[in-house]
Amino acid sequence: MKIVKLKKSNLHPFLQAASQDAELWAPVRQKNNKHSFQPIKDFATIDLNYTRTILPPRKLFLPPQFNMFQASLQGYKEDFSHVSPKVIFGVHPCDLHGLLIFDEFHRQNFEDPYYLKAKENTLIFGHSCWPDDKCFCQSTNTHLVEEGYDLFFSELDDYYLVWIGSSRGDDCLRLAPELFDESLSEEDIKGYIAWQEKRNQAFKLKINFFAMPDLMELRYHHSLWEKLGQACLSCGSCSLVCPTCNCYNVQDQPLLSQDASNIQRCWDSCMLENYSAVAGGENFREKRSQRLKLWYTHKLQAYISKYGKPACVGCGRCIATCPVDINVFTVSRALEGEEVEAFWNRLAKEVNP
Amino acid sequence: MKGKKLKIGIYELTGCAGDALMILNCEKELPAIFQAVDIQSFLMAKSDNIDDELDVALVEGSVTTEKEVEELKDIRKRSKIVVALGLCATVGGIQARFQDPQKWQENFRQVYGETKMELPAVVSKPIDAYIKVDFYLPGCPISKEQFLNFFTRVVKGAPPESYPQPVCVSCKYKENDCLLKNGLFCLGPLTADGCGAVCPSHNLPCVGCWGPVQGGNWTSEFYLLQDKGFSREFIKKKMANFAGTKLSEFWKQFDRRD
Repeated sequence: MKIVKLKKSNLHPFLQAASQDAELWAPVRQKNNKHSFQPIKDFATIDLNYTRTILPPRKLFLPPQFNMFQASLQGYKEDFSHVSPKVIFGVHPCDLHGLLIFDEFHRQNFEDPYYLKAKENTLIFGHSCWPDDKCFCQSTNTHLVEEGYDLFFSELDDYYLVWIGSSRGDDCLRLAPELFDESLSEEDIKGYIAWQEKRNQAFKLKINFFAMPDLMELRYHHSLWEKLGQACLSCGSCSLVCPTCNCYNVQDQPLLSQDASNIQRCWDSCMLENYSAVAGGENFREKRSQRLKLWYTHKLQAYISKYGKPACVGCGRCIATCPVDINVFTVSRALEGEEVEAFWNRLAKEVNP
Repeated sequence: MKGKKLKIGIYELTGCAGDALMILNCEKELPAIFQAVDIQSFLMAKSDNIDDELDVALVEGSVTTEKEVEELKDIRKRSKIVVALGLCATVGGIQARFQDPQKWQENFRQVYGETKMELPAVVSKPIDAYIKVDFYLPGCPISKEQFLNFFTRVVKGAPPESYPQPVCVSCKYKENDCLLKNGLFCLGPLTADGCGAVCPSHNLPCVGCWGPVQGGNWTSEFYLLQDKGFSREFIKKKMANFAGTKLSEFWKQFDRRD
């Protein structure tokens, strides 16, 4: 994999060249001080000094709600209006791993054209990051990334080292070759090694993921799940912000003045009561504790058994989002038998002392 | 549904008439609406109303007088489908906060004194306290988009979808930061979606105006708000605002445990 050097002052000219025929998306600081991937009109609005966006970048490939096709008695017409040429800049390693899991999911068994077409039309430029107190990607081994991007920008002093991850990424560089420097000095290499060592030391949160499949099994009938279920608000936020959650619902929307229907797809969540409801009024997972157990089985056990890695990329979004502190960190600590400082634990003491 | 147009009636009981107004507010779609169905009765929109057999009756407002009880029962008798339109019809509205007859009497006297009423009043109830309701379309007021989706489904003979998810789902679709997590008094997790998280998208916490969502965890959110420093009285008051009669069982159990 080729690595080249780019002066920081050359970043915007490069992005300008790379996004000539595409819409550029990058992290932008919102009014609430949180970050979000947004379409960029003015390069000055790009804010790379961020840890995590509220929603992961999967929203660019499969938006929360979109129309899949219009159906009538005459046939159906596919709708790919959510697909357009895009360049996403500033994606962190955890989110790149999330997209790799997404790729796997949407390619296996049945190909999902809505995801794959959007993915084909997008160039992904990754960017290095620095962990905060909610990041634990080192524990999921997703703090480094070797694939899943076209270019990857590692930020050092006043320059970037740029990894070329695909031939499309290489084509991009050729749009403005004068901006890059192909020869790296010994100092550049030493600077990168030192930065990486420093970053490795900066992770505060550690989770022993590879103990989780066993612990999930051993504590499958533990009272912990009832405690969590008692506090869970079933708001769905944990799964809606998770980079690897992919469940969706499909609804028919008949059109008033035509004999046709729009078939719409929207993000769903296994935390919602209606998710496991079936015809006849039955519900397989009516209790919140059952729904939580399903989610954590998927994240901490089933996926590890099947693919050798957890369906969690350590981004910390569930920690930043859940109002009652049910997240991969508190649940894994509780599975290890530790007393956890969390609202759900306080509630259990208050309601059933 | 080809052939004969569905006969529709739109009725207003006690409320602000905001839901009926919202139907009229679908200005772009009104010609299509009037073309698709035969609107027999709609007091806000026309004067030549016929109160006869109906395919679908949309009823707005809560029941607060004896006369309305009779009107409602009559609507039910002559309609194949009855739809509760808006918060007042679905849960009883803000006016259903005082269900205790004695407390209600006190409030009534405080407002009206000893005046003899032309229309004897009763404690405010949602319409399903008196008749069977086939579909619920919550909201204060209902949203245009939600109404049009619902209406189109009814016209085309497809069963309407209910709204079993909380406001939080739309809130996340819009990539809002969680206000509850940030310590604000937000009722999003307990409230039926349908508004598309309008308030949280403007950084205003949800007040619950779409009414209780199916399966909401009221106990947990009560303690969570208390944990964040809100007083029990304040939480109860706010939670009761738009919940109407639908939480009376919850409060009974809650008070018993406390």
